[in-house]
Amino acid sequence: MGIRYQKKSATLQGLVCAEDAEILLNWLKSKPDAAVNVTRCKQMHAAVLQVLLALKPTITGVPADPWLRTALNKG
Amino acid sequence: MSLNSTELLDQFILEARECLENIGHRLLDVEKSPSDTGLLNDLFRQVHTLKGNCGLFEFKALEHVVHAGEDLLDRIRSGQQRYNPEIADVLLDAMDYTSSLIDVIESQGKLPDSAQERSRHLAQALRRHLGEPAPAAVQSAPPATTADTPLPDWIGLAPPEWRESGRIVVRYRPEADCFFKGEDPWRLASTTPGLLHLAVAPDQPWASGDAFDCYVCNLDLRLVSEAPLAEIEAHFRYVPEQMALWRMPDAPPEPALAPPAAAAPAAERSCVQMDLMNTRLQQIWDDQRRLLARSGVSAGTVASVRQTLTHLLICRDDPPLIAEARAALGRIAPGPVPLAQWALQYRPGGTDMDIEGPGQAAASVPAPRREGGTAAEDGSTERGQKVLKVSQDKIDRLMELIGEMVVAKNALPYLATRAESLFGQRELAREIKAQYSVINRIAEDMQHAIMQVRMLPVGIIFQRFGRLVRDLSKKLGKDVSLVVEGEETEADKNVIESLADPLIHILRNSLDHGLETPEVRLAAGKPAQGTLRVSARQEGDRVMLTIHDDGAGIDTDRVRLKAIERGLIPADRASTLTDAEAVQLVFLPGFSTSDAISDLSGRGVGMDVVRNAVERINGQVELESVRGQGTTVRLTLPLSMAVTNVMMIEAGRRRFGVPMDLIVETVRVPAEDIHHFKRSQTTVLRGRIVPLRSLSELLGLDNEARMNDDGELAVLVVRLGSENIGLLVDNFHGTSDIILKPLEGVLAGITGFAGTALMGDGSVLMILNPKELV
Amino acid sequence: MKNILVVDDAATVRMYHRKMLGDAGWRIEEAVNGLEALERVMNQPPEQPFDLYVVDINMPKMDGYTFVRELRRLPQGTQVPVLMVSTEAQPQDAVAAEEAGANCYLIKPAKPQDLVLTAALLLGDGPAARRAADAQLQGVRA
Repeated sequence: MGIRYQKKSATLQGLVCAEDAEILLNWLKSKPDAAVNVTRCKQMHAAVLQVLLALKPTITGVPADPWLRTALNKG
Repeated sequence: MSLNSTELLDQFILEARECLENIGHRLLDVEKSPSDTGLLNDLFRQVHTLKGNCGLFEFKALEHVVHAGEDLLDRIRSGQQRYNPEIADVLLDAMDYTSSLIDVIESQGKLPDSAQERSRHLAQALRRHLGEPAPAAVQSAPPATTADTPLPDWIGLAPPEWRESGRIVVRYRPEADCFFKGEDPWRLASTTPGLLHLAVAPDQPWASGDAFDCYVCNLDLRLVSEAPLAEIEAHFRYVPEQMALWRMPDAPPEPALAPPAAAAPAAERSCVQMDLMNTRLQQIWDDQRRLLARSGVSAGTVASVRQTLTHLLICRDDPPLIAEARAALGRIAPGPVPLAQWALQYRPGGTDMDIEGPGQAAASVPAPRREGGTAAEDGSTERGQKVLKVSQDKIDRLMELIGEMVVAKNALPYLATRAESLFGQRELAREIKAQYSVINRIAEDMQHAIMQVRMLPVGIIFQRFGRLVRDLSKKLGKDVSLVVEGEETEADKNVIESLADPLIHILRNSLDHGLETPEVRLAAGKPAQGTLRVSARQEGDRVMLTIHDDGAGIDTDRVRLKAIERGLIPADRASTLTDAEAVQLVFLPGFSTSDAISDLSGRGVGMDVVRNAVERINGQVELESVRGQGTTVRLTLPLSMAVTNVMMIEAGRRRFGVPMDLIVETVRVPAEDIHHFKRSQTTVLRGRIVPLRSLSELLGLDNEARMNDDGELAVLVVRLGSENIGLLVDNFHGTSDIILKPLEGVLAGITGFAGTALMGDGSVLMILNPKELV
Repeated sequence: MKNILVVDDAATVRMYHRKMLGDAGWRIEEAVNGLEALERVMNQPPEQPFDLYVVDINMPKMDGYTFVRELRRLPQGTQVPVLMVSTEAQPQDAVAAEEAGANCYLIKPAKPQDLVLTAALLLGDGPAARRAADAQLQGVRA
């Protein structure tokens, strides 16, 4: 659940809730080249989505939720 | 199964004609007395019923006209519009036309093609008399009533598939601070029923750099749905002023049925079928959670929610989960709060951030939380719900009284039995028992209601930890990350308050003795930063608190030495202890005094004090430690404090009570199955050896345990710490709710007894604390 | 065999519900308003209790909200799910249904398979729920 951070990538897993948004935001700001993997993300809070839409990091993987897919432009 | 089956259609026509006839008469009556509200209401009801029936058959044209008539009549009956001759004419026209349409339906089974145009014309004529378009009472940007409001420009620019006829288009722009109200607009939008398309865009261009705040909602959500308008409005019912919707105009010839879904191959279809079912299941599940969260929810409703959740559970497709959830459900305490926590824990699709609802306290977003003052100040205030400030004493008094009521009611069954056996009054006895069950239910409801008032989230204590950890770790030159989980878990106010000190002490121990400095950790191959994890969880009718650090663990050699030094344990015994046993030595009274404690850990408070504090509130402490890896302290606490359920047992010719939550089972063991080994006795239950102790011996009473006529001995198996012990007693009796009063004054020092309870017949029952006896 | 009580003052609606829910395999009884429904409930033989109430809101003599509130005070009403089905679509109506103690709220006209699916879930009838979901997918209405 939540976000797992590694050196150059963050992986969203399962339910990603509102608190994760701020952490992700700060992490992305400090690592402009990092990639965010969303394949295993089941659900994300709107605040997290905002972070991804505003900062536009490289997004890898395809989430199962079709709406999320469209929102993140992943097909 | 056919909707347009003749039978149903015939009934429709029959009732429609009835309605129209009544409407016709009423219209004439109303003309004569236009302000007779009784007549107007009746007229409205007839039109309302007619509209409802039309809706069942998707006779759209018919519905439009009748709906317009209904809206107009609604305003007239509520006094917002006066009835006048023009209105009378328009209404009569509309009803005549409706009547003719019914005739066509009867002969042809469907509406004529011309119906669309004519009905729209009539509907407009009716709506023209509505005066102000939107009712002044409600919101600023009203949800548009379907075919009327012109479509906004942006829809013209949207892709063509958005503009298919009959679809509902929604634009939802959540307010900037909605996150702090516990809302998740993305979730709301993406779970819209019948959703076909969904587009997300920023409302204003995204701020850049430090100006961007992810917790200010800046989303402009647009979506298209094929669900009925009413369903969509219901879905967005809590945010009507933040959204607007439009219906795409209908294409002229109305297709008879909804477009069938593509005939997908069976396997794929069954997956989609499951998804459909599971989505609906989850929606209904969340509806139940929302019901439980309402303040003042009645016991009857809670019981229905419980039943509903049980039914939903058995429709899920995960048999082991179903079994586990059912077992868990059987163990929780009655009342909405434990049920709500169970529902959260076993929610399909995983535990959610929060259920959408009016201003639920956001567990997820760092919302401003207020420290627990008086009971009513805590937690969220529902939008539109009043909040009262109540003084602590009044709540306590109320709780006392309710507690006494819970006990007093127990006298009634006694009385009933006496009425029957002593006075031969069987009828009376029956009536008393019936009334007892009513009073019993009410008393239980009252008790749960007051418990709810007193329940607080453990988070209010956890709040202090952040600061404590930061300050202490800095002082000690250690790098510690505090992880807190389950702060929303609730427990009784008393329990929480009694916990504060022990918890702080445990944390201090971890920081002081457990976690090492970064250098030491690195040298040991650990990450420089240590982790202190505090988590709370509800399990059945108990709350489990776990404090875990990944530090050096308890140094068992030092502990052994110290115990010997303080004369707490003979040297030879100390060396035969296993490491796990040695760790438990820290609980010995007098273990940690003065010199070994740095000033930070306080005035030589030891784990024995912690344990006493916890056991005083009927809880238990367990300690586990692995050298080099860390220490875990586990606290198990009751959810509520006032009333305990005990089983009455007989030993040494006297009666005692034993708390039910300690009892594993009651069993009668034949004498020959009891093995004697030196001076101890054991038996085998379910393939495991259970040591037996005679209760009367433990209590210093003379008599040996009595055998019954079949040569069996009564064994009460209780769980102490991590093992089961069997207590030999004379007999078991029933269970009862009691208020446990701890021993006070001179008697307070006596171990072995948890306290006393006043019974319904006026006698005093001694309640045992088996842990201390054994 | 599950027992459903349909409460609605419109005969067509009662028949409609009777058809849809009856075809799904459940036993249906009817009442024309809240008052009659309460009488039904109180006189129901204990070995044949109701397993679900499908209740309209606007009815003469006693409306749906009042019925549910009264129902929740009776022993026969405490453990049974209530599904409110109404034409009312204002936000406050759904909230009022919740307040009265209804477990679920559907808006008329509900897609027939939607009603059956919801009822099946509330009754704990897994097979019926799956059938309803299947039918919904095939766009079956006839």
